[in-house]
Amino acid sequence: MLILKVAALGPIHGYAIVQRIQQISRDLLQIRQGSLYPALYRLQNRGWLKSEWNLTEGGREAKFYSLTKTGRQQLKAETAEWKLLCEAISLVLETAE
Amino acid sequence: MRWNSWLNRRRWERQMDAEFQFHLESQINDYVEQGLSREDAESRARREFGGLDLAKEECREQRPFEWLDHLLRDFRYASRSLRKSPGFTAAAILTLALAIGANTAIFSALEGVVLKPLPYRDPDRLVLVALYNRALKYPTSLSYPDFLDWQRSSRSFEQIAAFREQGFDLTSPGAPERVDGKEISSNFFRTFGVDLALGRELSLEEDRIAGPPAVVISNRLWRDRFAGSPTALGKTITLNGAGYTIVGVLRSGFHFNQQQADVYTALGRGNPLFLTDRAVHDTLCVARLHTEVSIDQARAEMNTVQEHVAQLNPDTARGQEAYIVPLKQFVVGDVGRTLLLLLGAVALLLLIACANFANLLLARCAVRKREFAVRLALGASHAQIVRHMVTESVLLSLTGGVLGLGLAKWGLSAALAAIPGSVPRIENIGMNPWVLLFAFGVSTVVGIMFGLLPALKSSKTDPQSGLKDGGRGSAAGHQRMQRVLVLVQIALTLVLLTGASLLFRTIHNLWAVNPGFDARHVITFQVGLSSSVTNTAPKERVAYEQLVERIRHTPRVEAVDITANVLFSGHRNEGAFWLSSQQPASLAEIPRAIYYPVGPDHVNTMKIPLLRGRFFTTADKVDSEKVVVIDSLLARSYFPDGDAVGQTITFPRWGAARNVAFRIVGVVGHVEHYELDGSSGQKPEIYYSFYQLPDEVLQAFSRQVTLAVRTPLDAAAMMPAIRKAVSEAGADQPVYNIQTMQELVSRSMGQRFPTFLLTAFAVLALVLASVGTYGVISYSTSQRTHEIGIRVALGASRRDVLQMIIGEGVRLGLIGVAIGASAALIFARALPGFSHLLYGIGASDPLTLVGTSFVLMGTAILACYIPARRAARLDPMIALRSE
Repeated sequence: MLILKVAALGPIHGYAIVQRIQQISRDLLQIRQGSLYPALYRLQNRGWLKSEWNLTEGGREAKFYSLTKTGRQQLKAETAEWKLLCEAISLVLETAE
Repeated sequence: MRWNSWLNRRRWERQMDAEFQFHLESQINDYVEQGLSREDAESRARREFGGLDLAKEECREQRPFEWLDHLLRDFRYASRSLRKSPGFTAAAILTLALAIGANTAIFSALEGVVLKPLPYRDPDRLVLVALYNRALKYPTSLSYPDFLDWQRSSRSFEQIAAFREQGFDLTSPGAPERVDGKEISSNFFRTFGVDLALGRELSLEEDRIAGPPAVVISNRLWRDRFAGSPTALGKTITLNGAGYTIVGVLRSGFHFNQQQADVYTALGRGNPLFLTDRAVHDTLCVARLHTEVSIDQARAEMNTVQEHVAQLNPDTARGQEAYIVPLKQFVVGDVGRTLLLLLGAVALLLLIACANFANLLLARCAVRKREFAVRLALGASHAQIVRHMVTESVLLSLTGGVLGLGLAKWGLSAALAAIPGSVPRIENIGMNPWVLLFAFGVSTVVGIMFGLLPALKSSKTDPQSGLKDGGRGSAAGHQRMQRVLVLVQIALTLVLLTGASLLFRTIHNLWAVNPGFDARHVITFQVGLSSSVTNTAPKERVAYEQLVERIRHTPRVEAVDITANVLFSGHRNEGAFWLSSQQPASLAEIPRAIYYPVGPDHVNTMKIPLLRGRFFTTADKVDSEKVVVIDSLLARSYFPDGDAVGQTITFPRWGAARNVAFRIVGVVGHVEHYELDGSSGQKPEIYYSFYQLPDEVLQAFSRQVTLAVRTPLDAAAMMPAIRKAVSEAGADQPVYNIQTMQELVSRSMGQRFPTFLLTAFAVLALVLASVGTYGVISYSTSQRTHEIGIRVALGASRRDVLQMIIGEGVRLGLIGVAIGASAALIFARALPGFSHLLYGIGASDPLTLVGTSFVLMGTAILACYIPARRAARLDPMIALRSE
């Protein structure tokens, strides 16, 4: 879901995704960089991400990922679900106090 | 796009490498910018990325169609490892090929004959329409007047069409030829829903007495005689000496009933004598049900119609009801049941083969225990090992299946050629997608099921023990399973053997039946007499007398005469009769006899014993006193305590005349007419002289006239001289339908065609079972080498060892035979489809069962003998050191 969220902001390559996630989460979330790629391939396989080769700002070739239409729907659905779950958990926690 | 990544995997790999490379380099650059040295940056980046190869492998797992790659890799691996043990591979493939081949062959026969719909429009709505005679308890055809009544009054049917098989001498255009044909009602093709290739059906105008002669011809005839030209319409062909105008040409492939009919003429133009007589039941009817009308409803409606007909014609039609069955049932008959039985038999064969297959795999697993242990220790998962083994067995079974298909194709054509005429719709039998699917399905299921069994069993070993004891650990478990498999084999083989022996003894019993005449050394054939000598009845009688005389003087001919009802030809010429002068109330309710219109020398030709009085002479002419000869059955049942000779018997019809009295001049022995097993019941038989037949019906009978010749020569040696004699009397007279009496008799056993097949299957099963027994015993003996060595060292004699091992085989055999015998007895009770094939023997005949048990036990002991002898000859020193 995090990958989808990051990719939703526009075409982005693998290295930047790692950087972005770490940056946004203020280094709280450390993902093992090697396991990012299988995840990317899986998401692409399911048709939620698409990829193309393009030049970076530095003028190098890199593979850029971006969200597809179904990917966007999936992100929406997952986000909603996640929020619901969070609310439920916090509700339980608060009431239990 | 998805396929691309699979098909172009090198490019895919390159892209993945580039992507990873880019990631690492970006990271390194960042670290360098943060102030790290190049080397530190590189190692830190690599550390944070984690295992590069692991990541790549995980990505590959995500690739689309990766499973296809796995499958191909497994298959490559399997075929490599199978190639390393060619003996095992060949044995497994051959075993499966034989069994799958047999199954495929029988299934394709079942599919073609029974499952495939009839090749007409909406074939499910086609039915056979006939009458059921309540007093005589069998179905008969309608009479032509019945057919007209039914056609007029029925609401259940879209169409009712009538037909009658009829042969024709085709004399022009082209060479004279005898062709099969049908006389049909004008709506015949419409009823089947068959369109003509050219022209039209017969019209109502043509389908009536004295209507214009018209004919619809087959596509074959059209191509042969008219080169497929559309101008054939309106041309004339000569049939039986009369010209018929061609009004229509059939499409190729139209086919109904066994024989291929080439000409179709109008039924309604036939002999008025028969067309108006309700006592002549010779019109076969096919009808097309209206949609929404069931067979039961149609039967109920036609019963009402028939009751009405009976009220109006009590003397001929009373005591009959409507008989309506699906056309397919009529066409396929009992063969479906027999084919199902055979399918059951080959399924047993398949099971036996599968048991062998599983045994082979088990033995192979035991040998490869160490290999599996090594692979497990190196990190292969149990699932992977099972998958490899199943792939191997599927590869084996699929190869077996392909080979089996070849065997089936070859075996089917051989088997079908051996049983001409006993299976309907034979032209439908062949390889088609369904059959291929069946073979593929059976192979796959067998491969997976019987591969999984030993695979699961073996993969349970933990690597440690597997590596340590080098393949002795769970041998006991394997052996138990192998033994069970062999038991199953022996039991099933006994069932097949018993079935085959019962059928074999049936055939033996049938040939031992005395048919009442001597079927050896008799050749039958027909002659198409030239129409110039048969155009009047008196000339025709002379023509036949001269023909018989001419053949009688051919060298090596011992006796010859004509008959219009050939024994065992399946021809049905039955009629009512009564003895007293009083006419019975309804013709339908009195007994029938088989009528034989024959020449005077018939009994000498057939060697039928003359018991009393005389047979016919040349003095019995059309204008002399009407005489008949009856058989011993009629004499016994109707004249139990008096002499039949001199009494009179009355025929309800004699040409145009009614209720004609005949004097009985002789009694001959009863002969079997339809079948040797008497399954169609014993019917009395009446002979009359062909030469006394009245003028108006002679022509109708002459189409049936067959010459029977008794000669010590075989047909191939005798026929040239006979052909010569016939053609000397007229060059345009074809000789056709040549059959020996023995061929006719054995064809009557046609429904027992499974005998040969079942025997082949049983022998195959016996071979497989003995191979299985041999395999298990020799395997267990080799496992016990050590033990046997100790026994011999402690003083056991060779004899003791031999006894011990053979004893093991005998135990297996006895248990197997006991199970098999019970199974055979249960099958005998449960399969009426089987017992109706038997004659003179019960389905649970004890002698047969004991006999086959002995054969099986003998084979099992023989199979044990070789490993037993090998074990007995063991040198104890070598045996003890063998590990």
